[in-house]
Amino acid sequence: MTGIERYVVPASLEQAVECLQQLGEVTILAGGTDLMPQSQAGRLKIKRTLMNIRRIPELKGIALDGDVIRIGALTTISEIMRNDLVKKHLPVLAEACDHFASDQIRNAGTLGGNICNASPAGDTLVPLIVLDAEVELASKPDGKVYQRTMPLAEYFVGPGKTRRAPAELLTGVRIPLPPAGHVARFFKFGTRPALDISAISIGIAGILNQGVMTNVRVAFGAVAPTPVRALHTEEALEGKRLDAATIESVANVARDEVKPIDDIRATAWYRKEMIHNMTKRMLDHVAQA
Amino acid sequence: MNVAEKTKTIQPDSLIGKRIPKMDAPEKASGKTRYIHDIDLPGQLHGKILRSARVHARIRSIDTSAARALPGVHVVITAADIPDQRPIGVAKDHLPLKRDRVRSQRDEIAAVAAESEEIALQALKLIKVEYEDLPIISDPTEAIKPGAPLIHPEPHGADGSHEHLKQGMPVAYAGKPDNIAMRFDYGHGDVAQGEAESDVVIEDTFKLHYVTHCCMGVSGIIAEFDASGNLLMYSNTQVPFLHKREFAEYLNMDPSRIRIIQPPIGGGFGSKLDIYPFEVICVFLARAAKRPVKMVFSREEEFLASPTRQPVLLTLRSGCRKDGTLTFRQVHTLHDNGAYTSWGATTPFVMMQTFSSLYRVPHCDYHTTAVYTNNPYAGSFRGYGNLQATFAIEAHMDKLAEAIGMDPLDFRLKNAQEKGEVTGQGMSFKSCGFKECLTTAASRSDFRRKHRENIRNRNTPDPVKRGIGIASMLHVGGGAKIYPSDGCGTILKLDDFAHVTLITGASEIGQGSETVLSQLVCEELGLPISAVTVVNNDTDITPWDVGVHASRTTFIAGNSAIGAAKKAKAKILAAAAKKFECPEADLDLRGGFIIKAASGEPLIDLARLMRNLHFTEKAELVMTTFYYEPPSKHQDKGFKGDVSAAYAWATQVVEVEVDTETGIVRMTRVTGAHDVGRVLNRLGIEGQIEGGVVMGQGYALTEDLTIENGVMRNPNFRDYKLVTAPEIPEMDISFIESMDGEGPQGAKGVGEAPAICIAAATANAIYNATGVRIYGLPFTPERVYRALHGKAEKPYWKPWKPE
Repeated sequence: MTGIERYVVPASLEQAVECLQQLGEVTILAGGTDLMPQSQAGRLKIKRTLMNIRRIPELKGIALDGDVIRIGALTTISEIMRNDLVKKHLPVLAEACDHFASDQIRNAGTLGGNICNASPAGDTLVPLIVLDAEVELASKPDGKVYQRTMPLAEYFVGPGKTRRAPAELLTGVRIPLPPAGHVARFFKFGTRPALDISAISIGIAGILNQGVMTNVRVAFGAVAPTPVRALHTEEALEGKRLDAATIESVANVARDEVKPIDDIRATAWYRKEMIHNMTKRMLDHVAQA
Repeated sequence: MNVAEKTKTIQPDSLIGKRIPKMDAPEKASGKTRYIHDIDLPGQLHGKILRSARVHARIRSIDTSAARALPGVHVVITAADIPDQRPIGVAKDHLPLKRDRVRSQRDEIAAVAAESEEIALQALKLIKVEYEDLPIISDPTEAIKPGAPLIHPEPHGADGSHEHLKQGMPVAYAGKPDNIAMRFDYGHGDVAQGEAESDVVIEDTFKLHYVTHCCMGVSGIIAEFDASGNLLMYSNTQVPFLHKREFAEYLNMDPSRIRIIQPPIGGGFGSKLDIYPFEVICVFLARAAKRPVKMVFSREEEFLASPTRQPVLLTLRSGCRKDGTLTFRQVHTLHDNGAYTSWGATTPFVMMQTFSSLYRVPHCDYHTTAVYTNNPYAGSFRGYGNLQATFAIEAHMDKLAEAIGMDPLDFRLKNAQEKGEVTGQGMSFKSCGFKECLTTAASRSDFRRKHRENIRNRNTPDPVKRGIGIASMLHVGGGAKIYPSDGCGTILKLDDFAHVTLITGASEIGQGSETVLSQLVCEELGLPISAVTVVNNDTDITPWDVGVHASRTTFIAGNSAIGAAKKAKAKILAAAAKKFECPEADLDLRGGFIIKAASGEPLIDLARLMRNLHFTEKAELVMTTFYYEPPSKHQDKGFKGDVSAAYAWATQVVEVEVDTETGIVRMTRVTGAHDVGRVLNRLGIEGQIEGGVVMGQGYALTEDLTIENGVMRNPNFRDYKLVTAPEIPEMDISFIESMDGEGPQGAKGVGEAPAICIAAATANAIYNATGVRIYGLPFTPERVYRALHGKAEKPYWKPWKPE
């Protein structure tokens, strides 16, 4: 009963981007954990071509590339959670993966899929943003494969919408190795400890030196149409001594900075309260650590 | 048996109280159980239902021509195709296929039988319906106001004149002059006198929400007519014998031509006590298509079109004296009936028992009005109104105790019922372990000390506050005589190899009845549990039973099974006495042998004795029957009478951690003490109580079927939140064995009990932790956080009953 006319399974990145260039209307399938329920529920229509990208070797694996950790788009949430490089250098990402849906979904769902689904509540997005992650996009507009990168914080346009062009494929994520003294925290607030969609999420990162935070990154999930970097909150924290007065004022800035909506999971008022209370709690923990 | 043959004696042994794995567990655990989803009949078609796109509307027109023309479609039906359809349900206010009006989002408009589910679904999309919207009433307090639009208006002619229909017509034809679906009024004593004698009087309104059963196995049916016009249904019903009769009425058939077979049922919890439109519609489809038709819900449909627990607005006024004696209770409830009437409207039967009889109260006045709205309609659900009643009553037990400065446990003990009492409602407590439940649960949880300490710690800087709360329940434990008979029949046979076939009217819905009934039979016959096959799912084979409800199966079907087994035993011992030329009283059955009762010395293998009986000139088989009818009473018109043969009691203590910065309530520990009469299968009863506690936890903390203006917002497991494994608290369960004189081996029913007190005890625990009482459920983080910050509106409903 679907309108799918063609199913393609490219074996290489080049084949994949060539298909995208030539066929135009393509829906990309990786883990399928968002695509299948959304299309079954009628919220997403699968286009004329369905492209399964799971056999593309260039999209797989986690590797150190100089001072950058590259995670291929097809890496599953379970693989990230268990990976030694991630656990050593990016523990906050492993922690976020531990709060991600259920084992079954983590085993199938991919990092690229979580990013391209572009949910404001996507669990890996907030930690990746505070880790200064960049996305890699490949395309083949004129017979040659091109790659470009873009900060993840700029990638999202709205719910389900990104800056990826229709002929581009997201191939992976590049995360700079965090420097010495780097701290990063993630908090996911749902109504139960497992199998939940965030009512809000918070990522905070920076370099902590003798009680002072610099290079501050703060991002929030589920308080706007996309995951967002909170620039005012970052500014309020940047270069400040992490004492009780700073923490309270940063939490207040955070509450004022977000503009959430009411939905079935929470009201806007409650989301703002949680942004305040949990930003404060996270910074208290950083200060005490 | 060879081993035993060599031993000189067989020691007495008992199956009662042992940990016996459920007989259906290996099949279920290995994925071999064939649920209705797994059954496919030759020539079978697949049925699907088109439901309303509107909440409340007139149906202007229905065009099924494109659907009928779709290849693979056999039958498309609407109300116009079934001129003889009759209203169904508890109040006969519900036509399976709607004619001129839809009253809720779930309403059935048309149905299709096609060669595959995909084709049937595609056909539904081709059906065009024109609606004319009507005003939506989704607030029951609006629905009772004079002049409110009517959900079931009396029919009027085109010129507006009233069309007079015959007296006594069902609501679905005659309509109603107001939105009141059902009323219950009960009283004993004089509440005015009770209030005058009170030192403290309090009044509060409680708001109880929508939840639904969430059976793992979704609803389904297969209907088939044979060449002679006999109807066979594969159905998940909990009440096959009542349904046989009811279906006959709805289908204008002779009941004796209807047969119901129940495949293994993937969860009931009360949801399968009523006949729903999909079942009748599936029979219509099978009749029209002349083929078997199978209809199985999707999960979303299961949410949308299944009954819910009854949402209730309840105003309770209670009083006591300074010495802690309860003086009176006055209760007014407004039940949101939804668009049609199912068993949810009748939950006052149980609710009033809790108000009148859980604690000793000399004056009680109870009123319920169930009112039609355009919301989903409520059915029966484990606990049957008792969760709602207990929530209100136990909040007031804490508040009254605090008002007079009495310890909450002492206050409860002072007013708790005891063995031998007869309540104002006429319930007679022949066994009663209530006080022992209270003291056991309190001492095992260290309730008194923690309760005092938590109050002292409310103002410490730690944002996480600890709380402990107590609540108790009374529920029927020996059936409930709500029909003229509350009985159950058993047929028992032993074959030539002493294998027992236990044919019982009692249905298995996952609660473990097969195992318990087999235990009781084997206990009489001295056989291992492996010696029994249970047949319990075919109305043409099994004897009558009123159905699985009211926590009655162990008690009623258990007594019935014991009765049949005792008759078989008597016959066997008589034959053995003859053979060994000794009095019957000298013999007994043990370990598969006839033994000498005094010494335990085996005389003959039971299987050999059975063959001796069979293969002689006076050939005989051992086949017995028994029908058990409990000594309970049908209540009078004032709802008074000893409705159950025994009553079950329980106390549950809930401990929580409340994060005051998020509103998250973590349930850390549940200490329960249950008066179950006697433990029959320890493994089974533990599982049933643990499952019930978790169901109560979902009601208290996470589950919330959100209905906005008649529309269900969360018909899926993503947004309707069941409790998941990490949230389940540590449990400490004690059994109080009060050895009921009428119960099978002393046992009483326990099916519903464990879910009943959890929300009530949780409310008391949150108050103990924070000093804030929350009057509405569920205790989701945002609701709790708002209450802690003074931003929750306290529900209020002025006590009201129709004149």
